[in-house]
Amino acid sequence: MNLLRAHSFIWHYLWLAPNILLLTLGVLLWRRGMHKLFPAFTAFAILSSFGQFAEYTADLSPVVSGTNYWRIHSADLILEGILKALLVAEIFAHTLGAYSSVAKAGKVLIRAVGAVLILAATFAAAYAPGDSPVAIVSQAHLLEQSIFLIETGLLVFIFLFSGYFRIRMPRPVLGIALGLAISACVHLAGWAFIANVAPSEDVRHLIDYFKAAVYHVCVLIWYYYLLVPQKLLVPQKEGTNLAVPLTSDHHLEVWNRELERLLHS
Amino acid sequence: MTLAIFLIVASAIALASILGVTVSRTLASAKGGVNELQPIDVEAFRNLVDPAEDEYLRRRLPAAEFRVVRRERLRAVAAYVRAAGTNAAMLVHIGQRAVASSDAQTAEAARRLVNDALLVRRNATLVLMKIYVVLAWPNSGLFAAPILAGYEQMSGAAMLLGRLQHPSVPVRTSAHW
Repeated sequence: MNLLRAHSFIWHYLWLAPNILLLTLGVLLWRRGMHKLFPAFTAFAILSSFGQFAEYTADLSPVVSGTNYWRIHSADLILEGILKALLVAEIFAHTLGAYSSVAKAGKVLIRAVGAVLILAATFAAAYAPGDSPVAIVSQAHLLEQSIFLIETGLLVFIFLFSGYFRIRMPRPVLGIALGLAISACVHLAGWAFIANVAPSEDVRHLIDYFKAAVYHVCVLIWYYYLLVPQKLLVPQKEGTNLAVPLTSDHHLEVWNRELERLLHS
Repeated sequence: MTLAIFLIVASAIALASILGVTVSRTLASAKGGVNELQPIDVEAFRNLVDPAEDEYLRRRLPAAEFRVVRRERLRAVAAYVRAAGTNAAMLVHIGQRAVASSDAQTAEAARRLVNDALLVRRNATLVLMKIYVVLAWPNSGLFAAPILAGYEQMSGAAMLLGRLQHPSVPVRTSAHW
């Protein structure tokens, strides 16, 4: 059980390793010119890992008081919240941006979903009992719960919306979204438990370790999807699948006309 | 505690749905092909949604019988629209495979196909919603606007023709319809 205590080897590893890997990934993306394609993810990779290093240093430094540590933590949370909002916007743009026929409807819907989620996060924070008598600690945990609630909701919306329309996310975007979504879901469940149930120190440590381990896996998912090239698909026989689109164009037009006539009737 | 349980269950459902979408998409891509497109008779569909037929049935049948018949017709329309939506989804899948083609013309055609198919899928979804509303209130005139517009157009044309043929006789088209 000692291994699972604060400042144990695993504690240092799980705090530092994913962030060193993420920073390296950010630098690699920058050097390969992929930051032009994924500016928000590159910024997230670099800035959020620096934020975590600042928190790690503040946690270990004897000159930083407990209150100041939580202030640094809260500032980092706000920065991460902004970066994640930009990242979700980037995932949305890469997934639907090329398809004007659903992009507009998607934008309207995601804004509505975002507004509902902000409202839900506010209610959840207002009704949470809080897990600590120290206000800044409790507030930080509730802020974390709110950010993960909104992030999870928006990502679920993007996945379900694109899934319903059978829109395939480009491979790197799928990787970014998948890693972010898994991390968000697990962190949301973790923070909801911590912020509302106020568990014992041991249970809290276990949850913290589990969340950190999942984040580590998510960083590896990002590596796989962003740096490992996609396997080439077996070339199809000439005219097998493409024959369908070429003959279906006319039918689509006819159906669009019929459906729009019904819609506007 | 209730809030915690609710959020934990919500995040578990969220994770399951995200992984579900990802896995099903990956499997579909790996499979490569798509199911057969369902053949749809556009003419039969047009007949079903022809507002003139609805209007005819409304005038000929007792109200209760008309509601039953209209609901049946609407269910048939919904089946057509669902099939069109499913076909559109398959075409999105097929088109997306060709979007990355090295041939610019093929890529452009695929992009256009995907956009059109997405439009059909979106419209099919909206039309289905509308059909379900009309199913609840079969007497509502949600699909009646085209016939009204057509009727007005016909009336206007008839009046114009009447005036041109018999300038001295006042024309009342409404009595004929």
